[in-house]
Amino acid sequence: MPITRRRWHPAASAAAGAAVLVLTGSCAVLSTSVREDDVPDTVSTAITGEPVTLRLAYTDDPPTQALVDGFTRRHPNVTVDLERTQFSDYVKTVKLAMSSDDPPDIAQYNTGAMNSLVPAGLILNLDKHAAAYGWEDKFPSSATDPLRTDQDAERFGSGSLYAVPGSLSVLGVFYNKDILADAGVEEPPRTLGAFEDALERVHAEGTTPVGNGALEVGGFQIWNALLNVTGDEQDYRDWVYGAPGATIETGAAEESAATLTRWVESGYLSEGANATSDIDAQADFAAGGSAFLITGNWAAAPLAEEMGEDVGFFLMPGPEGTVPVASGSSVAYAVSSQSEHPDVAAAFLDYLGSPEAARIQAESGFMPVDPEAAEGQGGVMGEINAGFARVIEEEGLVPFPDYATPGMLDQLTPGVQGLVAGVTTEEEFLRTLQEEWEGDHG
Amino acid sequence: MGDPAVTGARAPGAGRRGPRRNGPGGRRGGRGWLFLLPAVAVYLAFTVYPAVSTLQFAFLEWDGVAPPAWAGFDNFVRVAAEPVLGRAVLNALVLIVFFTVLPILLGLLMTALLAGGVRRGTAFYRVVFFLPQVLPLVVVGTTWRWMYSEDGMVNQALGLVGLDHLTRAWLGDEGFALAALGAVGTWIMSGLCMMLFMSGAQRVDPALHEAAAIDGAGPARRFLSVTLPALRREMSIAGVITTIAALASFDLVFVTTNGGPAGATDVPGLLVYRLAFNEGDIGAAGALAVVLTVLVVVFVGGIRLLAREDA
Repeated sequence: MPITRRRWHPAASAAAGAAVLVLTGSCAVLSTSVREDDVPDTVSTAITGEPVTLRLAYTDDPPTQALVDGFTRRHPNVTVDLERTQFSDYVKTVKLAMSSDDPPDIAQYNTGAMNSLVPAGLILNLDKHAAAYGWEDKFPSSATDPLRTDQDAERFGSGSLYAVPGSLSVLGVFYNKDILADAGVEEPPRTLGAFEDALERVHAEGTTPVGNGALEVGGFQIWNALLNVTGDEQDYRDWVYGAPGATIETGAAEESAATLTRWVESGYLSEGANATSDIDAQADFAAGGSAFLITGNWAAAPLAEEMGEDVGFFLMPGPEGTVPVASGSSVAYAVSSQSEHPDVAAAFLDYLGSPEAARIQAESGFMPVDPEAAEGQGGVMGEINAGFARVIEEEGLVPFPDYATPGMLDQLTPGVQGLVAGVTTEEEFLRTLQEEWEGDHG
Repeated sequence: MGDPAVTGARAPGAGRRGPRRNGPGGRRGGRGWLFLLPAVAVYLAFTVYPAVSTLQFAFLEWDGVAPPAWAGFDNFVRVAAEPVLGRAVLNALVLIVFFTVLPILLGLLMTALLAGGVRRGTAFYRVVFFLPQVLPLVVVGTTWRWMYSEDGMVNQALGLVGLDHLTRAWLGDEGFALAALGAVGTWIMSGLCMMLFMSGAQRVDPALHEAAAIDGAGPARRFLSVTLPALRREMSIAGVITTIAALASFDLVFVTTNGGPAGATDVPGLLVYRLAFNEGDIGAAGALAVVLTVLVVVFVGGIRLLAREDA
């Protein structure tokens, strides 16, 4: 013991000294800067001819790489260095990168990260550029609304523009044409009643009607799709955007949850849905394991590749027929308020609305910002575009419910798992969502 | 986390220097510390610094970007009021059964079977039992998720022996998900326990076994009376390592169920992650991490106390 003690001494002093250093060092966090100015003094739509290098942080590819290539072909003096991060790490890394001393000029938009970055003044307010370029006419407003917020990032859907969409996604129903034909379903259902009828017929054939990945987002997207076509569009928007007094505890939301529970009880959902990931559900659907898959058009390209002509797509039908309302989101891009070349970055955003960019977006399997660019596509892509064009035309693109608060996803997924497992009631499910909402917006 | 402060306080009192310290030996000692410097630096940078930062964050209201504000004990109050926390802690305690109790029992069984003298194939079985410990948990988790799925290997095996009525999507079932997850933990940890116990069993003087055999003790008696008492230290170490793994479990749960279905497999580590990275509430995440650390220290302390040798 005495030996140990003698040897202890220098180590102890070293450790104590280091601990003091560490403490003073980590206190640096307490003295970070005050809010940055995010409104540019001057705005120009003409960009420099000098060589410029921009850095762009992103996670979704396609379409990012192809869009950047298109832009730099048009402006050969601009070089864009791409910094890609896996989606699961993107929220963390983009927050750190954009708040660092040397942030990327452009970053792919992410609601979770923007909740912190916009109030800190780190994201460029694009109102002046939007006016100079006339973006209001170039981009559908139902696609840009989710990218608008007030200075505190508390209320979305209105306020200043902080990002511009580079391609869009939309939630709908994929179906297996062979399975439907075998079950005697002649054509894709046009009403919710016809859809449930088709589910029953497929079920009677011994095939799983709806493949689902309730382990992740697949579960609540069924509820989401049902609510889109039965509930009030504006009520839902208000809730996601954080309008004062908004609530999700509505009759339509409860009815949509009840419909989902009824499907579970009738055996329409794959039995192990709660333990199935979205990608596994998609693979199972592609292999003919289920008749329907309710998900977004991001699944279109791989499904078309696997299933060819066997896969079709329709928007979730409403009780009375087609309702041109569907949840969707965009791969959008924001500009750092600390960028040395905000006008060049804005020129890239403007390029996203060009006919050439729309063609690139359509080719990479996304919905283009301008639906006309995808016209003439065949197969499932053509069917998605037909439905999507109507949604855009009627301004019916609404955000996903997890956009409501940063923690909403952690309520939606377990909540729907509870519905699927039969341990949560519809009222309890909606109450937990509303409690989470009140914690953030209340 | 408390370590630097404790050692720092002890330092002035520990200044008595033995006579040898003042001679060349002292200088040699100084040089010795120089060699330790890289390790100490790494330890400070990657263990002490993050731990101290976490403690600091626990008292801040901070979203990771905007200037933080002092929050006092607010975060701890909020974390305590979190409705899912109670269930998460309870789940972690249940996992101790699967991560600690069962693996130690199985490890002892495997040791009893493998350590009794040289047998053909011992090395083979040792490798097979230890293999789960070598595989990355993310791979293990994904593989088990498939094996537990509706038409995965577990259900196929049950079907083969006529137990079709038992088949279910194990990780998707409210009542079975936690136990199914725990079984993966048992599978991973048993090999580690066996490895520790084997090395302990090999330390036992063969003369003791011979003496017991001469006294008429069979293999079971010899294991219980000779080998088992010799394994006290290894069992304590195995208990500590596996209990920490159970209480601080994150990766396995994250890739298999992510807390589902409906919170049935929520664990505190998962809640820390969600608070910090999904909700951007660094303060509450830090507070919960501190609470979790205290919980681990209490349990580990308890195990060490129980397994203390009276010397």
